[in-house]
Amino acid sequence: MKKVEVLAPAGNLPSLRAAVDNGADAVYFGFRDATNARNFEGLNFSESEAVQGIDYARRHGVKANVVLNTFPQVNDPSPWYRAVDAAARLKADAIILANAALLRYCRERHPQLPIHLSVQASASNAEAIRFYQRHFNIARVILPRVLTAPEIRALHEKIDVELEVFAFGGLCVMAEGRCHLSSFVTGVSPNIEGVCSPARAVRFENTDGKLRTRLGGALIAEYAEGEDAAYPTICKGRFEANDRVYHVMEEPGSLNILEILPQVIEAGVSSLKIEGRQRTKSYVGTVTKILRQAVDAYYEAPGAYRAKPAWLRALNATSEGATHTLGTYEESWQ
Amino acid sequence: MKISMGPVLFEWGRTALKDFYRRMAFETAADVLYLGEVVCSKRQGIHLDELEPLVRELAPSGKELVVSTLGLVMSDEEQENLHRLKDLAVGMGLKIEANDMAGIGVGEGHALVAGPHVNVYNPATLDFLQEVGVVRMVFPVELPADSIAGIIQAPRARPVEFEVFAHGRLPLTFSARCYTARAFRLSKANCQYKCGDFPDGLITRTQEGEGLLSMNGIQTMSEKVHTLIGEVVRLEALGVELVRLSPQSRFMSEIVAVWRDTLDRRLSPEEGLAKLAEFNGGEPFCNGYFHNKPGMSYHRP
Repeated sequence: MKKVEVLAPAGNLPSLRAAVDNGADAVYFGFRDATNARNFEGLNFSESEAVQGIDYARRHGVKANVVLNTFPQVNDPSPWYRAVDAAARLKADAIILANAALLRYCRERHPQLPIHLSVQASASNAEAIRFYQRHFNIARVILPRVLTAPEIRALHEKIDVELEVFAFGGLCVMAEGRCHLSSFVTGVSPNIEGVCSPARAVRFENTDGKLRTRLGGALIAEYAEGEDAAYPTICKGRFEANDRVYHVMEEPGSLNILEILPQVIEAGVSSLKIEGRQRTKSYVGTVTKILRQAVDAYYEAPGAYRAKPAWLRALNATSEGATHTLGTYEESWQ
Repeated sequence: MKISMGPVLFEWGRTALKDFYRRMAFETAADVLYLGEVVCSKRQGIHLDELEPLVRELAPSGKELVVSTLGLVMSDEEQENLHRLKDLAVGMGLKIEANDMAGIGVGEGHALVAGPHVNVYNPATLDFLQEVGVVRMVFPVELPADSIAGIIQAPRARPVEFEVFAHGRLPLTFSARCYTARAFRLSKANCQYKCGDFPDGLITRTQEGEGLLSMNGIQTMSEKVHTLIGEVVRLEALGVELVRLSPQSRFMSEIVAVWRDTLDRRLSPEEGLAKLAEFNGGEPFCNGYFHNKPGMSYHRP
């Protein structure tokens, strides 16, 4: 039986090594510019770091995927095309792309380089996936976080590309790649500049015993003394609607599928993705290690698999709000 | 410039929807009408079987009718409906507005409009989409004027029409989760069609009371109405051919009339804006995206 892959994020070389050393089957990383959706300061890889990272992964039998998941800008798209060429030159195991223009370029110029369709392409159904397959011969699609586990299984039966799904980490609750909430309040588009809720637009204000978090001037949440404040994003904001104040879209916390791991694996997915290229190497190491243990435990005795409380505790400790959700994998969440 | 009436994004029920389209077709100066459900396939709007008779009924108005399709496609049933909508549109000689790549894929080879939910951020993407059938595109709502200009002005093999989302609550995102149902502690599976009680969406405010968003089922919109009426001269100069007005529950005929008068210079943009403000209950507008600023902000043209 082909085992599902554990795919870990790498925001820098130390994180990449932590992923490899803790049992990842594959890692993914982006270049240090707006060509990928975690364009945070001090993060990501120069070309020479990418060479070292790919070399380290390969020596340990681990695959390395390069992420290029933003949309080339009108005035200067050249960095995106250069990044595609670089990924091919460095012999990445796959390139993760979202934009049709780049998909076409990559398919024509680098036919040997496997393409994984980015979650940012928002392909949530067989028709969209077949369209991308027909035109660009994609090898894999990374599913947006909009489908339930049974829907993923049904989708798998209809298409013949690999499926990659998010298993752990920050939870986008919107159809990825088509969310303008961050640009609505900050003016910075994740699709163009590769960063959602940029730190430079964030403010924490501590007055009259209350903590207020703001993004681009909009009040995202007001906390009483002693409450833990979450990093302000619109989709995890506490607002007033229908005469009550609550997390109108979603509570802060992490997606964690360990409790339904057998269901997700048996849906036919090829890869379990850990979110968090912006996180520390200790986060990457911890999460990778636990996912490795969980996946191995499943294959040892699929019928006897149970998510261990110790795994959940350790994962919750890495997560904002120290809680987790099955998110959209469970229909009742929707 | 032509005026297009975008698809109705809210749950108004089939009778009100049909009445709305009849009024827009026969009593307003709108040139193009987009028909079809974009937000949620559970809604009780115009059924597929009713679309063809409605198209025949509206045809004598002389308006261009376009069939709009779903923004977030997930289920098998939604994909089967896409095929049926495509067959209907092709059979009646209508364009199809795709709002998901599934719509582009199903409609490939036919006359397509790339709706605002299909990501076109650069000329090369539009080139590709033109090859698969796109003859008109609606810019993503967050694109600033400079990017719109860059895409319009890029050299291309075949002409394509450009449409800008010019008036209405901004459609900002879709989710698998229904936020209107959630506001009533319900799940989407048992939503009780709560969105039908909010003909312009459920207003969501910050804890300081500032209007921020409007929840429209699985769609999140701006609370403020976005308008580019002050920018009509610039839009024309950029080469935009259609301005999209997004339906709202009140004063839509009046809003079309103000836009027509402004486009035809019977009103100045300032006068047009002042009139629109009357139909917006004096509430502030937003237009920041066009100016490369936060979408919720307003900037003098």
